[in-house]
Amino acid sequence: MQIPSDNVPYPIFVYVGLLFWQFFSGALLETSNVFIIDRGIITKIYFPRIILPISSVIIKCVDFAIASVILLGMMIYYGYTPHLTGILIMPVLLAITFIAAVGGGLFFATLNVKYRDVRYVLSFFIQLLLFLTPVIYPTSITAKYSFILVLNPLVGVIQNARAGLLGTAPINLSLVAISFFTSLVFLFISLIYFRKFEQYFADII
Amino acid sequence: MNIENSIIIKNIGKKYNIAYQLGGYVALREVFANIFLNPFKFVKYKVKKIINLETKEEFWALRNINLEINKGDIVGIIGASGAGKSTLLKILTGITPPTEGEVILHGKVASLLEVGTGFHPEFTGRENIFLNGVILGMTKKEIINKFDKIIEFAGIDKFIDTPVKYYSSGMYVRLAFSVAVNMEPDILLIDEVLAVGDVEFKKKCLDKLEEVAKKEGRTILFVSHNIEIIQKLCKKTILMKSGKILLYGNTEEVINHYLEQNNEGFINDTNKTQ
Repeated sequence: MQIPSDNVPYPIFVYVGLLFWQFFSGALLETSNVFIIDRGIITKIYFPRIILPISSVIIKCVDFAIASVILLGMMIYYGYTPHLTGILIMPVLLAITFIAAVGGGLFFATLNVKYRDVRYVLSFFIQLLLFLTPVIYPTSITAKYSFILVLNPLVGVIQNARAGLLGTAPINLSLVAISFFTSLVFLFISLIYFRKFEQYFADII
Repeated sequence: MNIENSIIIKNIGKKYNIAYQLGGYVALREVFANIFLNPFKFVKYKVKKIINLETKEEFWALRNINLEINKGDIVGIIGASGAGKSTLLKILTGITPPTEGEVILHGKVASLLEVGTGFHPEFTGRENIFLNGVILGMTKKEIINKFDKIIEFAGIDKFIDTPVKYYSSGMYVRLAFSVAVNMEPDILLIDEVLAVGDVEFKKKCLDKLEEVAKKEGRTILFVSHNIEIIQKLCKKTILMKSGKILLYGNTEEVINHYLEQNNEGFINDTNKTQ
């Protein structure tokens, strides 16, 4: 069965989605463990604990940068030159993914302090999320469920990345705004949860 | 009384729940499994928790602690193990919140609760000075200014560029202490870290602590099991037992009381065996 890919060669189509997905899922998985791994300094020194998950996601940005170089190679190989708007929108999309990753990572990291098996459950959860994100398929085939899928900030990010870099469709700014909004909501919820439990970390860890 | 740089502790208490029901490792999967297998038990537990009827085993590590420490004082804290000395320091540092009461600290706090915390084993001593200094709250510029003083005080010039995983525990203490003491905090909290140093280094530390307190007017709280050091360094001492303050006063008095208390038990036992 051939999965439709919006008239774009399938490899590069998937890779644009994979770029952001790898960043997000890798950051989520890595950050969920961040308070347990550094339990030493958390119990002995006072510092704002929020630094740990943020630095964990920033490390994944380096991976993103390296993966982008590969994307550049692929675009040259397949002969795609993006418009200026396509290039300009990339940092915006990266910022949205960053916010979503910090929000999700912070939430699971805090949950992991109380329930230590969260990071194992998370790997399965991420597998599930992969199928809910248009990495291996285009958003066009999910038109029926689009109003739910849009809650996933990565949907807007990946669709617009493809639109900007590969020209599969015009850039949908309202979708970008929705993704930005949902990732901010996730971050906000995670921050509230984190703030509530942060003070007891030293006792439970 | 000089309000600046003093520590005011009002009615501090710290309670721990001994969660024997759940065990040490709580798994989310188990929680969900319990909800499905025993829904009634779960509902009962939740309701009890809300109405506050839950049978919890509580342990008050600290209760009714009231203290006022003036600027420039070096105060020692002694007491049996489990008296709550380290818990008190942890609350003062801000690592764990008190269950009741409040703490007012005037000035910057640096604490040495464990030897070599914040040290990254792969970094060299030099790099760890920066790391530790920044974690303790110094700016990079400050550290660069004090760099030479820190290395000189630590006395490990030859090994400053080897990764700290190769250091002995004595070298660890020297480096950690050197960074903390040169930090110029307003309040310094030290928790039994000098146990590992050798005699020469202990003397150097004591001299430096005295200088820091007297000349620069910083407040120092010093927890130790070593009576000698407390006698030499601290003018006032706090004696703690089972989470409460037994005595706070002149070092001589408090130490005599402490030793008498322990000797009493000893003498009674020997009488019994006879």
